[in-house]
Amino acid sequence: MVEEWRLLDTGARDAYYNMALDEAISIARSKNLIPNTIRFFRWKPSAISIGYFQSLEDEVDIAACKTKGVDHVRRITGGGAVYHDYNGELTYSIIVNEGHRLVPRDILKSYDVLCSGLTRGLSLLGVPAEFKPINDIVAGGRKISGNAQTRRIGVVHQHGTILREVDPALMFSLLKVPSEKIRDKLIKSVEERVTSINNHLGREVSFEEMKKAFKEGFEKAFKIKLVERRITEYENGLTVELREKYASKEWNFKR
Amino acid sequence: MGRAAYKVEGGKMIKVQLTQKDGKIEKIKIMGDFFLHPEDLIEEIETILIGSPLEEGSISSSIKAFIEKRGATLLGATPRDLAKCIMMASG
Repeated sequence: MVEEWRLLDTGARDAYYNMALDEAISIARSKNLIPNTIRFFRWKPSAISIGYFQSLEDEVDIAACKTKGVDHVRRITGGGAVYHDYNGELTYSIIVNEGHRLVPRDILKSYDVLCSGLTRGLSLLGVPAEFKPINDIVAGGRKISGNAQTRRIGVVHQHGTILREVDPALMFSLLKVPSEKIRDKLIKSVEERVTSINNHLGREVSFEEMKKAFKEGFEKAFKIKLVERRITEYENGLTVELREKYASKEWNFKR
Repeated sequence: MGRAAYKVEGGKMIKVQLTQKDGKIEKIKIMGDFFLHPEDLIEEIETILIGSPLEEGSISSSIKAFIEKRGATLLGATPRDLAKCIMMASG
């Protein structure tokens, strides 16, 4: 029998809910209350997430975010600052127990294995792509997905971006830059180094089309069957609680 | 307070904020877009560095020994990279 995992599509929610639900799923998984899970989601309003070790004040132009109605949140995972655009990005999470066959002990290797679902999904969309260590996926040498992983309580939790469209100028209007003089240079460099699915294909790909392709990509690459379900009452309750943490100044400004 | 940012070649960005007294670390914050597993060990690394002499080799060895002892994984930067950035922040 093919191994069954749960598929969640939690739609577009705010940054605090999104990060809280990821943690709630991980906790529920560690208590064996739910199966291994893949989740698709989006960000409404658009938001910046920063890595666990980053300083919010150092990375994010908080005033610019306020003006543009963009939220900001610290992730539980390391890595860099990411602008999650409502229209530009599909985000995924994988929550799987640490002893699973898909999880090598070596963290770098496990990025490669877990990202294989994404590269397969991209290829189904007609975008040949490959994993690029440490934590990126590139298409034609340009970054199309960034990923970050944490391991706690016997659970591997990896989440990441899949770029549908990208606007480096908007992104840098929300991030702190070392000096105004180099802003244009940074924008130009990201324009050269980053791509998106729409960019690559020269057409508009819908979120529905993306979700369908990545569902199939994960199923094929992981040799699993994804069954669409809703979140449990337990996860819902925990998410409400954890959302307070992710929305708090204490958490977001902690470093 | 001293500050420094150091981009590891082929790796991640490290940022350090530091106060020193008599050539030793008094207060330190290590930030950046690297990965450390488990994540909350960063606070413990900062704590063990308090009182350390500002000497690149010994800072690097303390971080390396701590990471090994705790079975932690540092990705995108090495203990030596962190030590280098700490020295840069010390001026």
